[in-house]
Amino acid sequence: MEPPNLYPVKLYVYDLSKGLARRLSPIMLGKQLEGIWHTSIVVHKDEFFFGSGGISSCPPGRTLLGPPDSVVDVGSTEVTEEIFLEYLSSLGESLFRSEAYNIFENNCNTFSNEVAQFLTGRKIPSYITDLPSEILSTPFGQALRPFLDSIAIQPPGGSPVGRPNGQS
Amino acid sequence: MSRAREEAGDSQLVSGREPPSRIIRVSVKTPQDSQEFMLAENSSIHHFKKQISKRFHCDTDRLVLIFTGKILRDQDILSQRGVLDGTTVHLVVRSRGKGILPSPSTLPSPAGHCTHRPDPSTSESARMLGRLGQLARTSPELADFFGQLAQLLMVVPEPTGPSLEDPVVQGLASEKPANASYVPESSRPVPKPEPALKALENLQNPARQQELLQVDKRGLEALKAVPGGDNAMRPVFSDIQHLMLSTLAPLVASKGHNPDSEPCRRGINPHSCTNITTTAPTVSTPARPLAQEVSAGVAAQARDVNSNQASAVCRTGLSDLGQNLPSQESQQPIGKATPASQLRPSPSVLRRALHVLQQNPALLHQLATGSPLRHHMPLLPILTNPRALQALIQIEKGLQILSREVPGLEPCLWCPVRPHGARGVSETRGRGQGHRADAVQPTLAVLQLLHALASACPQSTQSSSSSCPLAEDRCQQELEHLKAMGFANRDANLQALMATGGDIHAAIERLLGIPEA
Repeated sequence: MEPPNLYPVKLYVYDLSKGLARRLSPIMLGKQLEGIWHTSIVVHKDEFFFGSGGISSCPPGRTLLGPPDSVVDVGSTEVTEEIFLEYLSSLGESLFRSEAYNIFENNCNTFSNEVAQFLTGRKIPSYITDLPSEILSTPFGQALRPFLDSIAIQPPGGSPVGRPNGQS
Repeated sequence: MSRAREEAGDSQLVSGREPPSRIIRVSVKTPQDSQEFMLAENSSIHHFKKQISKRFHCDTDRLVLIFTGKILRDQDILSQRGVLDGTTVHLVVRSRGKGILPSPSTLPSPAGHCTHRPDPSTSESARMLGRLGQLARTSPELADFFGQLAQLLMVVPEPTGPSLEDPVVQGLASEKPANASYVPESSRPVPKPEPALKALENLQNPARQQELLQVDKRGLEALKAVPGGDNAMRPVFSDIQHLMLSTLAPLVASKGHNPDSEPCRRGINPHSCTNITTTAPTVSTPARPLAQEVSAGVAAQARDVNSNQASAVCRTGLSDLGQNLPSQESQQPIGKATPASQLRPSPSVLRRALHVLQQNPALLHQLATGSPLRHHMPLLPILTNPRALQALIQIEKGLQILSREVPGLEPCLWCPVRPHGARGVSETRGRGQGHRADAVQPTLAVLQLLHALASACPQSTQSSSSSCPLAEDRCQQELEHLKAMGFANRDANLQALMATGGDIHAAIERLLGIPEA
């Protein structure tokens, strides 16, 4: 049996505040946050991310956010593109429908974490997934929670994945 | 536990090395669901898959197990691959669909199908769609149709997604990759006249059609049972209808004017039966003449039509609607109207429009053959406004008299299709105004003439008003009225009055562009 192909899996990390969080968080929140993180998974030469518009994909680094602020190597996977897209479609109907987006509970990082575990068995770095709880544990976060809940992040530049007419 | 012991015994035969193999708990996680399995750590993946397929009700062939990024092969042993107690294995159920239809699509419909088995609505719709698939298999032309239907249905957003992402629908869609050109954003329906024609011609079997209708209805009812499905379906169906009719209309038009084309009419049925079900959820129309449902389909465009109204439209005997051109025709202006306002046109308006068009096959034919006039003339108001129609008749009569008196005018006025106009079908019968049964009907020629007049008017108001001073005098009072009401454009007022034969109310309507119900 021929050895299965291994595809690299990367995590693209973007700071949505572009450095402001690092500077202002001590004042506003009382604790130091390095950034407001948005992540996406890059595999099979495509970038996949979750936003208020559902699961989207684009060529790596091609969202309006520009190139990522850092790239984390998640590992390698044997999962083929075909299987992966089926999986994404299935996710797009269940856990990651566009309506299911919630900036704290079910956001882009939740998605990246889920996909990373599927692809490689590894989770993404905890400083990213801990961000919502870090914010909500501050008085500022609690006070602004209703407002923040209504924020929906959708980086432009991607096209939907997993819809019947979607494509990879 | 006995099952686990049995599994342990099974794996003992396989490995034969360590007598007691521990029973471990492994979680299997799908995008929808997560379930736990107890089995021996020395079990083979093949064995594991069998357990999974029993629990998830899928073929083992469709299961793909992934652990730490590696796809688990059948001959592997769990412990060898590191699947230990308490670990989680990921599962993707592929939509290979060998049993039903070939499906190279990448959508994991069986995942939803398998794990949501207890859900009655999705399984019900899946069964119905399965039947659709069976029907499709029996006839390639049906497959064409269903392929198109499936393609269009698939623009439905997530709420109805699961029920549509059945392997059948996917297989149907993939069977016709060429049809995957309907992109809602770009609004570029690609007509497929040949397959549509074949579908039309072959769908002559009434039993088959009935069956189709039933299946379609039930399938779609099931789809609508999904929460939010109904509202989501309506725009989809209006799009479907639009696409299908625009596909068929040039086809039928090119086939020639054939009001008695039975197969054509019946062929409309499957295309429009989807429209039926959206407008008549109670689904009381299986026995009706199939062509009537085209009108119901048109009524579907007016989204505030409730089922009663839709059935009423069905019942208004448009039985000899030989073509679906009328639907397409009234749909074109309707299609423009509905984005702007969902309140018009009302079903009775549509009904009348259809009736008019039905009575004037010539008109349909001309209009459907892509007359550029369509874009310039507000046809719907003309067709549905009884007084406008009446005015048109008068003009037609006048032109007839004129052509008789002055033979030299004839080539200028009539377009080649004029002979159709003498077919003698009264078009105002349905108006409810009890008009005469004269053999006059407004043809394209008249409309073209009006258009020419209308476009000529603004430039030469003086000449037009001087050429008919009497008319203007007559209209003077009406003009004053109109001006008092706020219609400042005297030329437009004059035109309107002349077009409506001095009827000020009709003129006002004309000026406002309102299609009166």
